Amino acid sequence: MPKKKSKDLRWLRLDNAAKIYPAARRKNWSNVFRQSVTLCDEVDVAVLQSALEVTVRRFPSIAARLRRGAFWYYLQQVDCAPQVREEKSYPLVFMSREEMRRCAFRVIAYHDRIAVEFFHSLTDGTGALIFLKTLTAEYLEQKYGIRVPCEYGVLDRREEPLPEELEDSFLKYAGKVAASRKDTTAWHMSGERLPDGALALTCFSTSAKDALDLAHRYKVSLTVFLSAVLMKALLELQTQKVPSVKKRKPIKLLIPVNLRALFPSKTLRNFAMFTIPKLDPRLGEYTFEEICKIIQHKMGAEVTPKHMSQIIAANVGDEKNPLLRIVPLPIKNAVMKAVFDTVGERKSCLSFSNLGAAELPNAMKEYVRRIDFILGVQAAAPYNCGAISYGDTLYINFIRNIEEPELERHFFAVLQDMGLTVTVQSNN
Amino acid sequence: MFCVNCGVKLADTEKKCPLCGIEVYHPDLAQPEARPLYPKNNSPKPKPNSKALGGVVIILFLIPMLVTLLADLHNDLSLDWFGYVAGGIIVAYVALALPMWFRKPNPVIFLPCSFAAATVYLLYINLASGGTWFMSFAFPVMGALTLIFSATVALFKYVGRGKLYILGGTFIALGGVSLLIEFLLTLTFEIAFKGWSIYPLATLFLLGGLLIYLGINRSAREMMERKLFL
Repeated sequence: MPKKKSKDLRWLRLDNAAKIYPAARRKNWSNVFRQSVTLCDEVDVAVLQSALEVTVRRFPSIAARLRRGAFWYYLQQVDCAPQVREEKSYPLVFMSREEMRRCAFRVIAYHDRIAVEFFHSLTDGTGALIFLKTLTAEYLEQKYGIRVPCEYGVLDRREEPLPEELEDSFLKYAGKVAASRKDTTAWHMSGERLPDGALALTCFSTSAKDALDLAHRYKVSLTVFLSAVLMKALLELQTQKVPSVKKRKPIKLLIPVNLRALFPSKTLRNFAMFTIPKLDPRLGEYTFEEICKIIQHKMGAEVTPKHMSQIIAANVGDEKNPLLRIVPLPIKNAVMKAVFDTVGERKSCLSFSNLGAAELPNAMKEYVRRIDFILGVQAAAPYNCGAISYGDTLYINFIRNIEEPELERHFFAVLQDMGLTVTVQSNN
Repeated sequence: MFCVNCGVKLADTEKKCPLCGIEVYHPDLAQPEARPLYPKNNSPKPKPNSKALGGVVIILFLIPMLVTLLADLHNDLSLDWFGYVAGGIIVAYVALALPMWFRKPNPVIFLPCSFAAATVYLLYINLASGGTWFMSFAFPVMGALTLIFSATVALFKYVGRGKLYILGGTFIALGGVSLLIEFLLTLTFEIAFKGWSIYPLATLFLLGGLLIYLGINRSAREMMERKLFL
């Protein structure tokens, strides 16, 4: 395909959520996440490259690079697909500013696995999964000559991108009243860092049906159930680490919410918000049922179009502030980074992002045996956790930048007490 | 296979338990072979080449030498400026850049080397400028400083204990050097003995004494630590 001239390439303003990520970036940390499909056969890199060339044209907002304007960053469509890389090391290797300027996502092949790592300004987990499914569908069509129908998030590569896929839905669905952002600071885990900024991955896999049955026994959804397990594990970890009850801090879990489920948006860009359930260990012991109830009611109250439109309004209000808008980018970055450091990440111990059950068109199912979702660690806190289920397997990926897998141990202990058999894997 | 310690089910890719670190091994069970989940390489970027860096530093050091050499040749074909500049740069190179070539430079070796280089440089200045102060002033002062600092560094490195005593001793010895400097200045340049060296001498003696006192008195040491930690 001939390279397009720069003026023919689409460019986009960053969406409301995406604006914070380039500013919050630091020397060894950028907000990157990974999704991967594992096939039944070895990946043919040449075919994957050719499939990527076709797919990037359909996703001008995701197949993009991050560029600087005088006042804001913006995304520019890449003029050709990046080279498929081979997996050399741990997942989610630091993405430098130079790399983002060339291309803010990576496609990595490792034996039978196709992984894509996205800088969070491009899209959120839902948009990324559509990109990955479409790329995989194109790959399978080219490699095996099958025909994959455009359903379950597989898009037609021959279509032009639709305007509603490129819109900033935050602007569209912001409410009239802004919510307060006041919130308490959470407990922060710590530990000895792994050398050279390395990341350690621990993947738990288990039967999705067994996990769901267990969740239904507590009359909650799988997300609420797993969040409760994680919060229970955090409580126990803090009990072990901080013996004095008075000195314990609130346990808070950041649970991303896909806003496409609440608003009729088709955007492929960021359109997610979060809710942060909280447990205060100074108030006494929590039973598992209590934790489930707290999370469920918190989500019931907050995961509603009305509440979310209020939070969006607060964020969009900042973006629209004329004083902030006329400030040059480097100063704006410093201000946004300071806000992010003092407000953004202190409010939770870690994120737990559950993408739910991934569905694929029937034609693809026999070729794909596994799907993973891995978040990068937080800037300040050493952990993050992503979950996705495919077929009958639920994959829970913990990532950390510290030596000891303490949280994973407690997480496993809670699941073991409930009688759920999990299999563990790691990158070490 | 299940971990014998924590009971988690291990995937075939795992050679030891990711949660508790217990090695999976049983003589009667065949270890299943499976490809690791990720390649076992925790440094995705190659390490910077220290040899190349050393080369760049040498070139940076050579630039002022070349400039003064050219200026000298352009001026009157004598190497008077160049000698001073080159000597100074060589001393700086020996003191700052040379240890970088080694993975673990030993200060007990490099510190005396740096002092020796500086002493030779002073000798050169003395000869080039027709002075008579090297043997009677520069050499004994540099010799004393070399001895004191080398001894301090060596004791720090090889004894490892009693750091406050070593440091206190260094301060007191440096006080002695200030007296030596004034004495030798008086002899070499034939100026009247004014006794200014008593001020640094007293200060350094008091500081040295304080450090030794802190070394002896544990409660005073802990109090200082509590008040002055960074």
